[in-house]
Amino acid sequence: MTTARRLLRLYPPAWRARYGEEFLAMAGEGALSARNAFDIVMVAIDAWLSSDVRDATRALRPATNGGGMPMLKTMLACGRRTTVTPRDGLIGAGVMLAVNFIFAGLGVWLHRSGWLVTGEMLKGLAFPASFTLAMPWWAMKGSPWKAQCVIVGGTLLVLIVLSWVAARI
Amino acid sequence: MSKHDDLLAGLGRFSEPALYILISLADGPKHGYAMTQDIEGLTGQRPGPGTLYGAIARLESRKWIEPLPAEDRRRPYRLTAAGQRVLRHRLESLRAVARIGRARLAES
Repeated sequence: MTTARRLLRLYPPAWRARYGEEFLAMAGEGALSARNAFDIVMVAIDAWLSSDVRDATRALRPATNGGGMPMLKTMLACGRRTTVTPRDGLIGAGVMLAVNFIFAGLGVWLHRSGWLVTGEMLKGLAFPASFTLAMPWWAMKGSPWKAQCVIVGGTLLVLIVLSWVAARI
Repeated sequence: MSKHDDLLAGLGRFSEPALYILISLADGPKHGYAMTQDIEGLTGQRPGPGTLYGAIARLESRKWIEPLPAEDRRRPYRLTAAGQRVLRHRLESLRAVARIGRARLAES
């Protein structure tokens, strides 16, 4: 299975049903560059979170038998029933700012200390990691904590691997 | 800023790739790969596959572009009348901004 085909599995089933084939035809069946792989992962997160894209693909998709990631589906279904309060928004924003500051600061310090690859990796990781770690206060609020751990932990792991690869190129 | 500019700006970080897609489709239908090549020729940068289809999904949901029957695995898209209006207004807005910028540069 090619990298593009593997990464396509990160997208919602409706999105895959609608755009999957043409997306693979465009991305190619060969190896993907680290930059394109990162791009695909980031837009996959957007495809799950954006009501705009969810509504569009739901309206446009041909009939499908579902499939995909049951835990993520449950998480999103639970999340829709929960109200995000201004307090949640403030906490989420605080988490984003703090994580950005810590990762970027640590990255700069490590870079200056001679840890070039790790420093670059942390600097590149600052925003996506802060976005992911803030998700429990808005997109995943009300979801089972196990689902939150799997989604946040899994996304962070993927981001770390991709950032490490990108920093070494 | 006109109503049409607001609409395009509403696409957030996809507004720029969406503008390039609309420009790419202005001279006829294209599938994803042809769009990336065209955009690379236009801007010098090739959009990633995720970004391209993220923008296509948003443009299609707003009915600014529409899909044509698939050719093999590739599906061409074409600009709709609404998409043409949005593109025309956006380009006029950019031309006005460029004119003001050039005038201010000439004054300095």
